[in-house]
Amino acid sequence: MSKIIASSAIRGAYKVFDRVSKKYEEALQKFGPDKKVELPNTGYYLPVIYGLLGHPVKTLGDMKPVLEKCKSLLPPHVEDKIWVPYLGHTLDAGAATLFLFEIEEALKYLEDPIPYFVAEDCDEDHLWLGAADDIILRKRGVEFVDGTAPGFAAIVGQAPDVETAVKLARQLIDKQLYVFMAGGKFAEQLKQGGMQLGWSTRLVPFGEPVSAHIFSLGFATRAALAFGGIKPGDYKNILLYNKNRVFAFVLALDEVDEERYAAAAGAINYGFPAIAHTNIPQILPTGICTYEHVVSNVPLDEIVDRAVEVRGLKVTVTKIDIPVSYGPAYEGERIKKENMRVELGGPKSFGFEFCQMKDMDEVKDGHFEVIGPDLDEIPEGATVPIAIWVEVAGRKMQEDFEPILERQFHHLLNQAEGVLHIGQRDIIWMRITKKAFDSGFRLKHLGTILHAKLHNDFGNILDKIQVKIYTDPEKVKELLEVARKTYRKREERMAGMTDESVDVFYSCTLCQSFAPTHVCVVTPERPGLCGAYNWLDCRAAYEINPTGPNQPIAKADEIDPLKGQWGTVNQFVYEKSGNAIERFNAYSIMEDPMTSCGCFEAITVVLPMTQGFMVVDRDYNGMTPCGMAFSTLAGQVGGGAQTPGFVGMSRQYVLSKKFLLAEGGLKRLVWMPKALKEFLKEGLEKRAQELGLEDFYNKIADETVATTEEELMEFLQKVNHPVLSMEPLF
Amino acid sequence: MAFKEPVEKYNNSITEVSISDLKVGGQSVLTGIYSFDGPVPNPPKIAMEVLDVKPEEWPQTLVDAVGDVYDDPVKWALKCQNEFKADMICLSLVSTDPNGMNRSAEEAAKTAKAVLDAINIPLIVYGSLNSEKDGEVMKAVGEACHGKVILLGPADDENYRTVGGASLGYQHKVAAASPIDVNLAKQLNILLGNLGVPLESIVIDPTTGGLGYGIEYTFSVMQRIRLAALAQGDDKLKSPFINMIGKEAWKAREAKISESEEPSFGNLATRGILWEAITAINLLIAGSDIMVLRHPESVKLVRSFMNEFFK
Repeated sequence: MSKIIASSAIRGAYKVFDRVSKKYEEALQKFGPDKKVELPNTGYYLPVIYGLLGHPVKTLGDMKPVLEKCKSLLPPHVEDKIWVPYLGHTLDAGAATLFLFEIEEALKYLEDPIPYFVAEDCDEDHLWLGAADDIILRKRGVEFVDGTAPGFAAIVGQAPDVETAVKLARQLIDKQLYVFMAGGKFAEQLKQGGMQLGWSTRLVPFGEPVSAHIFSLGFATRAALAFGGIKPGDYKNILLYNKNRVFAFVLALDEVDEERYAAAAGAINYGFPAIAHTNIPQILPTGICTYEHVVSNVPLDEIVDRAVEVRGLKVTVTKIDIPVSYGPAYEGERIKKENMRVELGGPKSFGFEFCQMKDMDEVKDGHFEVIGPDLDEIPEGATVPIAIWVEVAGRKMQEDFEPILERQFHHLLNQAEGVLHIGQRDIIWMRITKKAFDSGFRLKHLGTILHAKLHNDFGNILDKIQVKIYTDPEKVKELLEVARKTYRKREERMAGMTDESVDVFYSCTLCQSFAPTHVCVVTPERPGLCGAYNWLDCRAAYEINPTGPNQPIAKADEIDPLKGQWGTVNQFVYEKSGNAIERFNAYSIMEDPMTSCGCFEAITVVLPMTQGFMVVDRDYNGMTPCGMAFSTLAGQVGGGAQTPGFVGMSRQYVLSKKFLLAEGGLKRLVWMPKALKEFLKEGLEKRAQELGLEDFYNKIADETVATTEEELMEFLQKVNHPVLSMEPLF
Repeated sequence: MAFKEPVEKYNNSITEVSISDLKVGGQSVLTGIYSFDGPVPNPPKIAMEVLDVKPEEWPQTLVDAVGDVYDDPVKWALKCQNEFKADMICLSLVSTDPNGMNRSAEEAAKTAKAVLDAINIPLIVYGSLNSEKDGEVMKAVGEACHGKVILLGPADDENYRTVGGASLGYQHKVAAASPIDVNLAKQLNILLGNLGVPLESIVIDPTTGGLGYGIEYTFSVMQRIRLAALAQGDDKLKSPFINMIGKEAWKAREAKISESEEPSFGNLATRGILWEAITAINLLIAGSDIMVLRHPESVKLVRSFMNEFFK
């Protein structure tokens, strides 16, 4: 907490108190205590006072207790010698300032004529609109609720020139923000710049002195009362409502005097930070505001972006600005050689795509760069290397989300008409049609697509995206090595993650629409049974959509580590299965195994004669040793029931150290279809080695040696499968 | 030993939602007609659907029943109120569909206001089921109808902020529509709740499948929502139901194909009415609280069926 800010704000509050008290006494003398005071057409009296204090001011006399309250709120002046935690005092001074401003502004409505233009929009002769009535509040407030206007910028001061003012206002409007103006000549500058002012254009001049910004906060307070259903006097929830829902901030464009400090302190109570152009002290730690409280010395050409970032406002891109059509319809499009303008990466060349997390100040949102020849500089029909290098930053971004974002590139780029994208990581292969090229499609548009779509789909975790496209072979080669290092690191990280190393699992209830009692419990060592969601995916999905089907499950109250049973997980599954499933073992097939929806990649079945497991996957449609083909088995296992001896799972789970651990794990694996066995070969051999199982891969039977349990038994005895020496299951 | 009727008792109840002076929900029994299991404070309501333009593709049976008022939503609504004794009016703003007439939100709001001013029973206003446009339309309708409480809808996962915002700003109720899924219905109620819309302002539109066209899915999902609400006490699913029955029933080929084309189907005039009434009675048993119907005869049939339960 800055001592300078605290002392200035407190001094400012005292000054305002003296001034307003004097004005109040004058008014009282002139009109008497019974004189009615009201803002135009509102049911909220003086809204800041009514909202925060629960005190309806209807007459001049009603203002008296408010002034007394202000007096009691005014903290002692900051002393040179004694250091105290200033934040509380500063906030109190700020709150008092707001009440005083509201009294001061309300008194103006007793003047004749009222010094404000009571209307929705300004006209040629009238600039200052004063308080908005309830009709405006409702109409505009709905926009704050539905997100068409995420918040407002409260402008204090003025820009160095008309041109800059207009530019700033345009930037704010582009972010769909309202621009509230008071305390300075900014509004006049916009008028001179030829801009239409008023609620209709979202450029709202409240009044000349900074006290008129009370109408900004009055608007915010009434929004909480009207839309948040909060009761007057419940100051805590009114302030929280604004902090969490109204993306407002103060932009101080020129010198910040004591009164402005006091006003800014008032705004901080609402969670609205101040971003200053001049070099004033800063308040950086979070506390009242979502992130920083006061950020200063920000150049004017960066101030809007910085404010948006500090307030935690999310960017939405409504239109993907590319010269070709875009949509899922184009995802399956194939591009033949004769229609192709250029080929990027693929078997004849090399290329990769990469997503990397950076610090906030290292990424310039919406910055696209092409390094090396662009499409018009590459000969028609040629093949060149490509690197799609995407850098993202976000307050909630984590390195673990990099591969999740990276995996999106494939379908995001494929949805552009005339763009083909195959593969991921360092096996990408792209083609772009002549037609797309002729319509003006260039490599930077790959950046446009990724920027727009990632913002919209992943806005909860990222704030900034910049994209670099490399076609210069040397550069691509150089960066490929960097990327490969990261790919390896990610694999090791995922491989090194164990169920013991985390304290949260994730649920997936996406399939409850058709399997109402099914709850997937996804752990680092047991991916979702569909194979589409691993633990990291679920965690990211939860960050992105906190009310969605992937919810965190605290892992606590361990009941049985071998079977994988925890009290908290049981409780969660019980609730989410509609009280149908009482207990759940993550690593067992015989006792309370996981339910299945129907989307499983594979099914594991216990074969009683051999006491082993067979695993059959969806792609195999022949007969299996258990006497049922996959389709028949699927009918038995699915539908959200626990079926001991049967379990639906992802193919990769076979390779997990937790694979049916309770019953002895991989050692019991006796049969799989040949194709699945080959698909998992590398992993199977590695796991067998870890378990000290010799020549295990060749001991697993497939359909070429056995499709009945008798044939299988014969084979197992021939190869001396380790299951033969294990304890029987039952 | 004397026979004792078994009673299904639940410790939870459906949230009571007031639309103007009419209340729905509030019961602790599986459906609003199971009065034998416990008290039903607010028996299910029948709303009649009124379109904001002359219906183009309605079967003659329906057109004849509505009569000469079908090109004037105000007169039509009054006829439903006075002659057909509807409990509520559901104004469907089909003309706002951007792929159709694309009438503006302001025009639609004027129609809604005119209907609201003319009738003295509660009003439901539904959009054209284009999420984006419906959001815009509901904002305007909400504003125009400010001062009285109406039910706006449908809010879905794309436009819930806008429709929910209109409900908050102008103190209306919201119909939250999700595609036949317990979790999605719950999620939408959570999202509306996060926005600030209280549960007392929400009814669930679970998406209605007509008889022969998916009614079993709707039936099952409504039952599951009710069981989650009453047996498991899931607050987010305790909302009353609204079902757009007439619209779905009259879409069915069976409800409108002529006798000459399908002689075995029987009398066309009664067939359509029965199709609608049977759809309604099915969903009534599943727990419907507001049934939106089109034909005055099926309204009568459904009402007489309900009355049997409350004798």
